[in-house]
Amino acid sequence: METLGFLLHGFAQALTPTNLMFAFIGSVLGTLVGVLPGIGPTSGIAILLPLTSFLPPAPAIIMLAAIYYGAMYGGSTTAILVNIPGEVASVVTTLDGYQMARQGRAGPALAIAAISSFVAGTLGLVGLTFFAPPLADAALRIGPPEYFGLVILAFSVVVSLSGASLVKGLSAAALGALFALVGLDPMSGVRRFAFGTTTMLGGIDFIAVIIGLFAITEVLLSVEESARAVSLAALGKLMPRWDELRRCVGTMLRATGVGFFLGLLPGSTPGAISFIAYDLEKRVSKTPERFSRGAIEGVAAPEGANNATTSAGFVPLFALGIPATPALAVLLSGLMIYGLQPGPMLFEKQPQFVWTIIASMYVGNVMLLVLNLPLVGLWARLCRVPYAVMAPLILLFSVLGAFSVRNNFSDVGMALAFGVLGYLMVKLGYPTAPLVLALILTPMLENALRQSLSMAHGSPLIFFTRPIAVTLIGAGLALTAWSLLSRRAPQ
Amino acid sequence: MIRRWLIVSMAALSVGVATGRTEAQPQYPSKPVELVVGFAPGGGADVAGRLIAAYASKKWGTPVNVVNMPGASGITGALHVLRARPDGYTLMMDVHAVSSMLFAVQSDVPYKMDGKTSIALVTLDPVIYTVKQDSPWKSLQDVAAAAKANPKSFRYALGGIAGVASFSVSQFLYGAGVPVPETNRVVFTGGNPALTALAGGHVDFAGQQWSESAGLIGGKKIRGLAVVHPTRLPGLPDVPTAKEAGFPSLDVVGWQGLAGPPNLPAAIVQKWAALVEEASKDPAFLEQALKVSKVIAYKGPDAFWKFQEEELKKYLPLATQIGIRK
Repeated sequence: METLGFLLHGFAQALTPTNLMFAFIGSVLGTLVGVLPGIGPTSGIAILLPLTSFLPPAPAIIMLAAIYYGAMYGGSTTAILVNIPGEVASVVTTLDGYQMARQGRAGPALAIAAISSFVAGTLGLVGLTFFAPPLADAALRIGPPEYFGLVILAFSVVVSLSGASLVKGLSAAALGALFALVGLDPMSGVRRFAFGTTTMLGGIDFIAVIIGLFAITEVLLSVEESARAVSLAALGKLMPRWDELRRCVGTMLRATGVGFFLGLLPGSTPGAISFIAYDLEKRVSKTPERFSRGAIEGVAAPEGANNATTSAGFVPLFALGIPATPALAVLLSGLMIYGLQPGPMLFEKQPQFVWTIIASMYVGNVMLLVLNLPLVGLWARLCRVPYAVMAPLILLFSVLGAFSVRNNFSDVGMALAFGVLGYLMVKLGYPTAPLVLALILTPMLENALRQSLSMAHGSPLIFFTRPIAVTLIGAGLALTAWSLLSRRAPQ
Repeated sequence: MIRRWLIVSMAALSVGVATGRTEAQPQYPSKPVELVVGFAPGGGADVAGRLIAAYASKKWGTPVNVVNMPGASGITGALHVLRARPDGYTLMMDVHAVSSMLFAVQSDVPYKMDGKTSIALVTLDPVIYTVKQDSPWKSLQDVAAAAKANPKSFRYALGGIAGVASFSVSQFLYGAGVPVPETNRVVFTGGNPALTALAGGHVDFAGQQWSESAGLIGGKKIRGLAVVHPTRLPGLPDVPTAKEAGFPSLDVVGWQGLAGPPNLPAAIVQKWAALVEEASKDPAFLEQALKVSKVIAYKGPDAFWKFQEEELKKYLPLATQIGIRK
């Protein structure tokens, strides 16, 4: 009950006009940053960080935090409308979201993305409000062997993402794993597949790959098919039907669970988590065959999960001072500039500040919902804009986005190359999602495996002596087996 | 472009907010200065860069914009600056990782260590040796004794293979006579993940920088055993210096300074060096640096370069000994 009292005080502060205004500015900027591929919350927060020299701590951090969670709302917009994920976490959203848009159902897809983001983001905040310190301590017990188990579990998703041909799906995943290995070996500093260039030494940038595989591929395909627009169907209803909403309630709750608990672990990324949430939904669905063909749950699940992840990320940040993502690392330096050292002492020494920020995040999520729902109609009309206009714009933003990630022209070349690769893959019937998933998971797998082995003086027994690790690995293998078996069963 | 535009306009806005006062427009800088950080936002180089950029923007009324160009362990950003026009509008955060430490580890860096104009050393980020809060080890001596007695079960974390921690931990272990090849070296992707693993008890020992360790030490999840600095650090009165702890020869340190392309005009170098020197005496700047766990340590152009040469001499044999020199 003490917590509730603190939270109420926090609301009193968060609802002052100044703080409301900065939450609003942050939410709008976050949405914008989320919509534009390449410009992520990390750069968004970094760009605005100098403002902290002039603002008092509460409004500044309220704004920077709002950019972070606002970006997760924005990331789905382009994923649904034009098949371009604005953020890594929205890659999965393209699978069903874009299909919905093509069927003239962009409105409901965008609406459910906003609603699911709101529900899961807010439920995640409840978790943050009441359980932050104990959850953070529990998350610390997850070490490299457990992460290894988690990655094995996540890799089981490849099978269900594979579509018609398992061989093609696995090949795409293998290709993704191969691309992930380019650059410096993280354990020994050996150069891998760099061919003597410094460009390749930095590794293949994730955003460049996504821009290429999704945006540029889409443009190439549209040119060839001389498609006139994403969808010429009548706009139809902008909001989901009641029965769809009802169906999505369970989806949102499950997505919250997956997103929040995995999001507590500083070593897992929102990108991987949204894949897991999507897969879970497909597994529990009575009609899994609708997925990848415009299932509304396929939008609600990843969008909910990535917002729950965002809320959860504040748990280790506030309670331990550990940033789970690069964007939170920038936010952390913002906190430190104010002399606010996150950690258990922050809740004791600066309760007013912490609770103001947490309360502002509830407020910000409401703002984002209110902001995003009326925009649905406007965005949905974009689907009807002729490709002759859209394609050059998509290309323009793709190039800008790829460049701005690292301010580097070679990333633009990389994006274009992956665009051609994506085109060939689509033409030859290879799914691109397994490639993306493997690209996210492989570095985690490599690090976790090698770290675990070096912890145990090279003995693989470490995976069997730690209960959580054993459980996760077992679950991953069982899920893989289940997926393989259900593929063989006649459909 | 959008991002560039955003940066410029935000910086312009912040400058506008900051300087209500009027000041005679100096000759340099007459347009925004690009301060390249070869690493992602939020890291040590980035934080120090943003501190000095904000100070310069305020002082000169012209925006100094931090531009992050991460990639290839900082080499991408460094190459960009070293190849830029020496007009003072493209500068870089020169840090241990793209200077002395990099040249100690790599024999084929695509630029020369002296192929730049050194401007000034801005901050130091001292190493702190840490253990988990409830570790039975109370001093560096305890750690050394345990590692020697049972090297095969001694696990230590490194936040990267060729970074400060590689040198700091190895220097300690070799110095204490620990059979290093028998110990367990667990490499993480950065200082934060390494120390998180330490706090969770997955490894037993670490030697990361102050800015990375401060949070978890303050939160009583990890405990500092010694700090590599001539004096104890503000806010950590209970952590002895390495000398006090009985290891006077430990001297690995992270640092952040300013540099530009070769043949940067002396007037520009002097102007920046004077600015950093002034900042290093400004109480408000000192306080800000303290909050992000950095020690202000101004050195002018010549002293800064000399410092880097000394650093290289120190790390070369160590890199060979550890076996990370390529």
